[in-house]
Amino acid sequence: MKFESAHVDTDSLLRRACGGDASAFADIVRRHQATVFSIGYRMLGRRDAAEDLAQDVFLQLYRKLDSIESIEHLGFWLRRVAANLAIDRLRRVPYSTTYPLDDAALGADAEPGVPDTSEDHLMTRALAKLLGELAPAPRAVMVLRYQEDRDVAEIAAALDMPVNTVKSHIKRSLTALRALMIGARLEIS
Amino acid sequence: MKLRLALCAAALLCAVPALGQDRGLLKLPAFAGLEAKASESVQVNVDSKLLGLACRFLNSDDPEQAAAQKFCTSLTGVYVRQFTFDSDYAYPKSDIDGIRQQLLAPGWSQVVGARSRKENTDVNVFILVEGGKARSLAIIASEPREFTIVNVIGNIDLEQLHDLEGNFGVPRLGIETGKKPDKAPPPPPPPPKK
Amino acid sequence: MSQDIENQLRRALRPVDPSAGFAERVMRALPESTPRAAPVVALRSAARPNLWRRLSTPAALAASLVVAVLLGQQAGRQQVEREQRAGLAARAELLQALRITSKKLDLAYQAVNRPAPAPPPAEENPS
Repeated sequence: MKFESAHVDTDSLLRRACGGDASAFADIVRRHQATVFSIGYRMLGRRDAAEDLAQDVFLQLYRKLDSIESIEHLGFWLRRVAANLAIDRLRRVPYSTTYPLDDAALGADAEPGVPDTSEDHLMTRALAKLLGELAPAPRAVMVLRYQEDRDVAEIAAALDMPVNTVKSHIKRSLTALRALMIGARLEIS
Repeated sequence: MKLRLALCAAALLCAVPALGQDRGLLKLPAFAGLEAKASESVQVNVDSKLLGLACRFLNSDDPEQAAAQKFCTSLTGVYVRQFTFDSDYAYPKSDIDGIRQQLLAPGWSQVVGARSRKENTDVNVFILVEGGKARSLAIIASEPREFTIVNVIGNIDLEQLHDLEGNFGVPRLGIETGKKPDKAPPPPPPPPKK
Repeated sequence: MSQDIENQLRRALRPVDPSAGFAERVMRALPESTPRAAPVVALRSAARPNLWRRLSTPAALAASLVVAVLLGQQAGRQQVEREQRAGLAARAELLQALRITSKKLDLAYQAVNRPAPAPPPAEENPS
């Protein structure tokens, strides 16, 4: 019931935003800002770059609102534009130069002011950081898969990639991350 | 009779441009058996029509796509078969032999035949030359867990294709491209006179 | 093991919020006015006592022309979207093919340019 009413609610928000209702558009931004910002953050590794990117995505959305057909389409559109914009920005720098994720990004789970040194939390932080070692395209695949929980077909459509390439990126990235994690685990211990 | 001859000649003339366009196009099998064994497989068939469509959507702001734009007017087709396996040499050599047979046809010559015992890789690059120009490229790369066949049709510029490496996710390794030096190396200095 | 790393990835990649006031900053950056496509006027809801009589009036004719144009535009937009999807898919295929070609050429160049192993030292004449 709750899901249905949220669904209808966003649908009416979309209609009102299309009609020029600024507060409806602001609501849409608030509902989706975490998704869009996080995609930028995991891809680019810096809060300021991620906020710039997220702002650009929402400005594009404002111009293209008429082309959004439904809530599902809105979600797909935002993920697609955010991921592709992030890949474009990363490609302006050779992919071997990674953006090291700043520590503030990694401390999402930690209680402020209380350093959490549990090994699991450290490994989680290390993993988020190691994501920055991946090239732009596989990095985007992993973010859409494990942050956004999208299936392979949707990731392929969002990133203009053949499905087999998406599967290949996931498999190889998991292997690479596993190997890097073993190294990281040795460092921590 | 004259009409029949004229019709045959017309049919042949119509066929020649098509033959010309397909010159250098390898018959790549579907490799259905291999696809079932492979952990990953890639099959790409970009003919001239699809190439034209793809080129309309290339974005020159993106370095990779800008590099690809160079080929929009020179190439007429790009075909790839790539299979990756979880164990070494899971693919029979006979599958590749059929392709090699086609490359024995007149006009094809092997420009690179490199084997590395250390890495167990075997890479062969073939060019089809017509009228003094390279019209088709074929690459057969055999690695322990992957084999790849590439067939590129059109006006081939090997250097330009290789130059994609920096833009296409392959890091520039700073190695020489195998170009012959313009001048011969200087002769060794003569021994000193007694 | 595979599940373990995937679960860890999901934990590591939980969404994070931008800094406070993000939505307000976005709204301030919006252009002052953006032309919006006029929504199709609710012709459906209007009463139509005699369709032929309504269509024969100039206003009704103009309205039906607008509907025809908008429908045509929608069909055109759908066609453009279909072409765009096909073009983007073709682009993805082309880029993947060129990537593989470049990598394999690089493999060949590396093999060709690898320095040849040094010849074994010549044996000294025993006599």
